[in-house]
Amino acid sequence: MIVITCLDQKNGMMFNHRRQSQDSVLREHVAKLVANVPLWMNHYSASQFDTESIPNLNIDDAFLQEAAQGEYCFVEDAPLAPFEKWIERIVIFRWDRTYPADRYFDLQLGSGQWHLVGTSEFAGHSHDMITMEVYER
Amino acid sequence: MRRRTISVFLSLMLCLSLLSACGTMTDVPTNGSNRDIAFEETQQEERAEGSDSTTSENGESASDPESGKDGPVSDKAQPSQPEQNANENSLSAEAPAFSLSAIAEYTDKPYVAVNGNVPYFTESELTSQSYYYYSYLDALGRCGTACASIGQDLMPTEPRGSIGMVKPTGWHTVRYDDLVDGKYLYNRCHLIGYQLTGENANTKNLITGTRYLNIDGMLPFENMVADYVKETGNHVMYRVTPIFEGDNLLANGVLMEGYSVEDNGAGICYCVYAYNVQPGVEIDYATGDSKRADSSNTAQTPSTAAPVPAQEPDDSASSDNPGTGNDMAQADYILNTNTKKFHYPTCSSVKDMKDKNKQEFHGTRDEVVAKGYSPCGRCKP
Repeated sequence: MIVITCLDQKNGMMFNHRRQSQDSVLREHVAKLVANVPLWMNHYSASQFDTESIPNLNIDDAFLQEAAQGEYCFVEDAPLAPFEKWIERIVIFRWDRTYPADRYFDLQLGSGQWHLVGTSEFAGHSHDMITMEVYER
Repeated sequence: MRRRTISVFLSLMLCLSLLSACGTMTDVPTNGSNRDIAFEETQQEERAEGSDSTTSENGESASDPESGKDGPVSDKAQPSQPEQNANENSLSAEAPAFSLSAIAEYTDKPYVAVNGNVPYFTESELTSQSYYYYSYLDALGRCGTACASIGQDLMPTEPRGSIGMVKPTGWHTVRYDDLVDGKYLYNRCHLIGYQLTGENANTKNLITGTRYLNIDGMLPFENMVADYVKETGNHVMYRVTPIFEGDNLLANGVLMEGYSVEDNGAGICYCVYAYNVQPGVEIDYATGDSKRADSSNTAQTPSTAAPVPAQEPDDSASSDNPGTGNDMAQADYILNTNTKKFHYPTCSSVKDMKDKNKQEFHGTRDEVVAKGYSPCGRCKP
């Protein structure tokens, strides 16, 4: 599976069971990125998307177990370490700021197992800059 | 004549009621009746129009996203009468029920959840009409609770100006170059950040806070609220209460509460205590004096400190990327356009400078250097 997630400058994901931030332009990027490939997410994440506009969207709270090879998973509030061996690629949308956090990204990107293969930047709706980082094994 | 007599009588009563409300001293300054209503009736109408927003199409659901439970006050009706918001009596400046004794000693986290991360707002305090207010300073000159309903219409459209002239209680100009990322131990911390309400050098909104409190404790919450409001157009109830113990001049920390109104807390909901500490530095909260934690002497200026200028980089909590270190802190500088040197305004070299060569500048040190200026060897900005 290919993981898509949003992190702040300190790898934070959530605070008090709520996402740190969101951006409508980022959602458009996600939709373009996945194109017609199946995209998985849980009900919480689906609440921020226009689910009608994304073809092949699968909403399931156990989505990380369900996603097949080559399919995308949008992850906001789930631990990834238990599924690491099935992850082929990681796409991180990096907020340009630091937010409160009590849930953090739990994969070690600097361990040598993952390599940064590309970055790009774009302006969001409410964020001056969002950086997309792509990691592969 | 009769009307004038009544008018004088009412004014007298108002003054008496204000005077009687002053001077209460508790651990949590409760300046409830001393509040500083920050908008006037004519402005209220404009802001009421501007804040007539509803949850955007991308607004979040009203239930607790993970547990599925309703938020703490989500079952309560939204404020349904905008008129109430224009009524001063509906705005509460009461500090929330909070006891410092319930807070664990600082260990390694800049903030800790309080009350299960559920803010103390009551139903009547929630409003989708933008406003802000700041408590009057107490008898010791300390700030009290600051509260706002943050809407897009309150957010600043211009960069923040200088706040270096404000000296909140407990203020000391002291630096620990090897312990503090911004070098200076204390920042002027906005209770409600500039990026939220555009309030600049208001003494009722500025406390003495460590760099750690400012950047690691408070700024992340300001960022989260600011970006949420910008993204959704919703309002966030936002309250910050400095917690002073006894007659201490320096707050032990701040209680920060946030709650998104239109989506009943689905987007923003927190209640945290942020510690006014600086790792590696021991602070006397009665006075604001400090020393290195591993040092036995009580000298306020550490031995490694450079000469301390009277004007130092001020609060940078509104900067976009504060985590990159001291050079991101904004300050006032005087540029010598002839020598291409830059100075602190208090530098003795400034008075010898020709007016035609003198130029004021407010910004970060990096920005000055990027303009081609080098630091004065005397004041070492």
